[in-house]
Amino acid sequence: MRNLRLPGFALAIPAWVWLAVFFIAPVGVVFWYSFGYKPGLFGTHANDKLSLDRYLEVLTPTFFDTFVATMWIALAGTALCLVIGGPVAYWMAVKSPPAWRGLLLALVLVPFWTNFLVRTIGWQVILAPEGWASQAAQAIGLPAFDILYTRAAVLLGVVYNYLPLMILPLYVAFDRVGEPLREASRDLGANRLRTFWRVTLPLARPGIIVGVLLVYIPLMGDYITATVLGGAKGNMVGQMVAAQFQTAQNWALGSAMAVTLILVIVLSAGVVGALLWLVSWPMRRANRLVLGEVGS
Amino acid sequence: MSRSADPRADIATERGAVTLQAVTKRYGDQTAVDALSLDIQPGEFLSLLGPSGCGKTTTLRMIAGFEHPDEGDIQISGRSVLGTPAYRRDVNTVFQAYALFPHLTVAENVAYGLQQKRVPKLELRERVAAALEMVQMRGFADRKPTQLSGGQQQRVALARALVNRPAVLLLDEPLGALDRQLREEMQLELKLLQAQLGITFVFVTHDQDEALSMSDRIAVMRDGRIEQLADADTIYARPASAYVAAFVGQQNFFDGVVAPDGAGVDSPRAQLRPATPLSGFAAGDAARAAVRPEFVELSADRPSGNVNIASGDVIGVSHLGEMLQFLVQLDEQTAVLSRRPTPDAPALSVGDRVWATWRPDAVQVFPAGDAAARSGYVPPPTAAQISDP
Ligand SMILES: Nc1ncnc2c1ncn2[C@@H]1O[C@H](COP(=O)(O)OP(=O)(O)OP(=O)(O)O)[C@@H](O)[C@H]1O
Ligand SMILES: [Mg+2]
Repeated sequence: MRNLRLPGFALAIPAWVWLAVFFIAPVGVVFWYSFGYKPGLFGTHANDKLSLDRYLEVLTPTFFDTFVATMWIALAGTALCLVIGGPVAYWMAVKSPPAWRGLLLALVLVPFWTNFLVRTIGWQVILAPEGWASQAAQAIGLPAFDILYTRAAVLLGVVYNYLPLMILPLYVAFDRVGEPLREASRDLGANRLRTFWRVTLPLARPGIIVGVLLVYIPLMGDYITATVLGGAKGNMVGQMVAAQFQTAQNWALGSAMAVTLILVIVLSAGVVGALLWLVSWPMRRANRLVLGEVGS
Repeated sequence: MSRSADPRADIATERGAVTLQAVTKRYGDQTAVDALSLDIQPGEFLSLLGPSGCGKTTTLRMIAGFEHPDEGDIQISGRSVLGTPAYRRDVNTVFQAYALFPHLTVAENVAYGLQQKRVPKLELRERVAAALEMVQMRGFADRKPTQLSGGQQQRVALARALVNRPAVLLLDEPLGALDRQLREEMQLELKLLQAQLGITFVFVTHDQDEALSMSDRIAVMRDGRIEQLADADTIYARPASAYVAAFVGQQNFFDGVVAPDGAGVDSPRAQLRPATPLSGFAAGDAARAAVRPEFVELSADRPSGNVNIASGDVIGVSHLGEMLQFLVQLDEQTAVLSRRPTPDAPALSVGDRVWATWRPDAVQVFPAGDAAARSGYVPPPTAAQISDP
């Protein structure tokens, strides 16, 4: 039989085709629409005259406020997921008995067995003024609380919905560092904390970045959690984009908003990354060692 | 330090001394290390030698502080370290897989331990440079470990441990991943380094040649215990048991019974008579005699005498460089291996009928029922043969 040899990139072709057809092309279409306009009451979009006017429309105070609120939720939600999910992932990968790990991973994934919307509406039931949470609080003598349709409820729902997306990549990252390297670090005189900062964290960094992006990016576009648990106060950009496409039938404006959203996501992620890089610079500098001419 | 009457007590408290007292470590219902006691002298090169699974790594990890004994005590430089975490023990380890930090350069790897001790930057740079010089890796200081060959990584791991000037250096099969030539080179270098630095080395290996060529003393381990602790000559020439005899070097074993006069062992194909009569055996006891291949001489003519002689057919001749090796079949089950220096080797070829003889002082006798069950030439034992007798 003849030995058929394919170049290495051949394996990646299906993925590239998929990405091109279902991701790059639609984004290109949205980008193109954003320079058009809405032609009359019944049209959704037209591109015979191109302009940047839709972007000017996006930059009104209402849109701006919603952008800020969305970013606040997304940043706070991502930070909360990191603060809560990080230690869980670390414990699962490093401290938990190895025999439990498969089970623990499965448990992390259990919420995904239910539809996203249903899960979120479930919280509505729990957080309602007469809901379990309030009843439980009253039962132990606390005042009844009513956080449904507040930012607190939105954040709670966000953390609940996105936590597994943070835990999984972090678990993989911490797990890959491996016990031998941590042992080597301790053997060389570093206690657990120093070992974490100098070995575990730097080696897990790619996984941490993946986890943060995996939570932050969809969160910027998410509006279901915000609508269901935040009501009017939970207005998010994603909701406004959807409204332009579905309700207002103004695809041009909706497209301009979507493009702005993408730009904001990329920019904000870049800014946060650069800040972290700057903040950690002194520590990296302190540990860097270039021997140069010493002793030779 | 106060001097005590017993000079050995002083040695046991000197920096670099390691004492294990009846140390036991169990995993579930399996005993990995079984009431093991061992005194390691300061500055000594001690090897732990034994087949896979006999507890070498576990012993080393307990000294390093990664495992905690269920029973017994471990002392380093005269102090019990049971309550001391690994990062505060005056001990460093060269790991079998090196465990170099992939995100740090060679120089940063070596500097890691000194940074933990907050050694001033200037001194740190000089010590790192000197350590890299010592293992001839100075030119690789700015590379990442992934850009190094196995042997180079091994040197970096060694420098990373030695730069801390620990009281004791633990090495877990550090040469296991190297090819033979590099391995022999590194054996020599390691031994020289150790002599130069005077640091106690505890060296784990399952390679008997490595242990024999490098160690001041060898602890031959079996099932979590020490079967024999002695210098290389003693281990080789006077093994304490058939197990040690079979594990270190090659052996021709003859199973039989103790002769009526107690002078030796009678086996079906040969009567074996050591230089001195047996003690501790009664006539008729099952016993196992051993003769190393290098003591077995071959000749085409029948030599005089009736003991320490056997006859057979040459069924194999092979070149080992400076040695010629002959395999002589005595009967269906029994073959004897003989090794002669190439210049004096008899001119024999396959099919020749020969007589094999050996000197009385080459004969060693052990109680039967120990170690490998076959008689005749026993090939270099595999772990399985030794661990399930
Ligand atoms: N973490 C562990 N959990 C359970 N059993 C273990 C563990 N570590 C070692 N053992 C068992 O303890 C025994 C001794 O193991 P150890 O690693 O000390 O052997 P070794 O002499 O170093 O062998 P090798 O030459 O193969 O490295 C083995 O039977 C092993 O299966
Ligand atoms: Mg081992």
